[in-house]
Amino acid sequence: MKYDVVVVGSGPAGSVTARFAAEAGAKVLMIERRAEVGVPVLCGEGISQKVDAYNILEGTRWIASKMDGARIFSPNGTMFKLAAEYAGSETGYVLYRDIFDQELARGAVQKGARIMLNTNAVDLLKKDGHIKGVKAQRFDETFDIEADIVVGADGVESRIGKWAGIQTTLKPYDLETCVQYTLTNIDWPSPYCDFFLGQKIAPGGYVWIFPKGKDVANVGIGILSSQSESGMALRLLDAFIAARPELRKGSPLRLIAGADPVAEPVESVRDNLLLVGDAARQVDPITGGGLMTSIEGGKIAGEVIGIAVKEQRFDAQFLSAYEARWKEAFGKKLHRNYVVKEVMLDMEDKTLDMLADSLKDYKFEEFSTLSIIKALVTKHPSLLVKLTPLMKLARA
Amino acid sequence: MAKPKALVRKDTCLACGGCISVCPQDAILMVTSKAVVYRDRCNSCSICVKTCPVGAIIWEET
Repeated sequence: MKYDVVVVGSGPAGSVTARFAAEAGAKVLMIERRAEVGVPVLCGEGISQKVDAYNILEGTRWIASKMDGARIFSPNGTMFKLAAEYAGSETGYVLYRDIFDQELARGAVQKGARIMLNTNAVDLLKKDGHIKGVKAQRFDETFDIEADIVVGADGVESRIGKWAGIQTTLKPYDLETCVQYTLTNIDWPSPYCDFFLGQKIAPGGYVWIFPKGKDVANVGIGILSSQSESGMALRLLDAFIAARPELRKGSPLRLIAGADPVAEPVESVRDNLLLVGDAARQVDPITGGGLMTSIEGGKIAGEVIGIAVKEQRFDAQFLSAYEARWKEAFGKKLHRNYVVKEVMLDMEDKTLDMLADSLKDYKFEEFSTLSIIKALVTKHPSLLVKLTPLMKLARA
Repeated sequence: MAKPKALVRKDTCLACGGCISVCPQDAILMVTSKAVVYRDRCNSCSICVKTCPVGAIIWEET
């Protein structure tokens, strides 16, 4: 079995990479260790409407609901709204993520990629020190899959990167550990995705409520692993729900867990190898959202692979066009947001309350860094000190 | 006495992979949709135990 490309992992990053590589003429195999693409879901299921511009999804079956924006609740309950165009980076649609992933995989197959399920990559295949594919296991059978390029789209726990010598182990302060119920029979008729901040609510993270239409919503929590204790995420989520009658009356349809890298991007290229999506830490460190960046990264990866296959160039120098393009397209923003994450983690609940109080009457239609800082410090001058690191960033 | 080692309770694990991504020893793998600790590699650092969002990782006396 010889392919141009073997993609390890059939999540959005893998499927979009496979799609654009296949479309450019590459012979692509995508392997998936699970028995079904997109199952189990490991995600809050929010995505920006920017996804529409990619034309990679047919129909609307993957959409649970369309949102008007986001509401942010500070620790003392002060709320401010972000209209869709500004909250758009991670809210817009609430998805049926299993259907979404299967539609993206279907798109890759339509362009000529193949999928092999129940197939686990167990090591890189190397000859004379060069990567030549992956060793795979399917039930009791172990076999080689030869390919000129290996794509690690193997998620937060990526092993492909480690095998290629890329340091991907996350520090606990760079991981949000998450758990989420899908609740039915709740009374939360909000056209907004809601976010709740506070050290007691979700240390180093937030609780979210993403309505899915009818009386259903995803109610989840992410906390920073470095501030977590065993089972803390689930206990805090249960406490959040128990304290709210409109949620407490609900029943769970689903309980899932997730792990979200909120880290600096890693190196994503070696000879004969690329990393995409969560494996490359293509995730916004503030929101933990990674769907759009995975799709954007996957598209760039697929296009670069297409050229590499035509030119028969698989060395890191040639493939580094991928890294240069994604870092330019969104990597710089992820780095900037990593710095913002660190500033926000240092903020006490009191500071978050002051921020929310300053922003609650702010009209985000006039959004600009300068005007927002002006709005903040006019009402609460003491915020000036807290925000100094961010202002340095804005000038840089 | 040897230090206790991390052990994943299979009935509780939801296969999120968080423990694998933070293990400094590469001692955890996903096997048929459950995390499994390789005891000989575990150095009892407790990072995975604290990270698990549902409390599926416990200590096992050795």
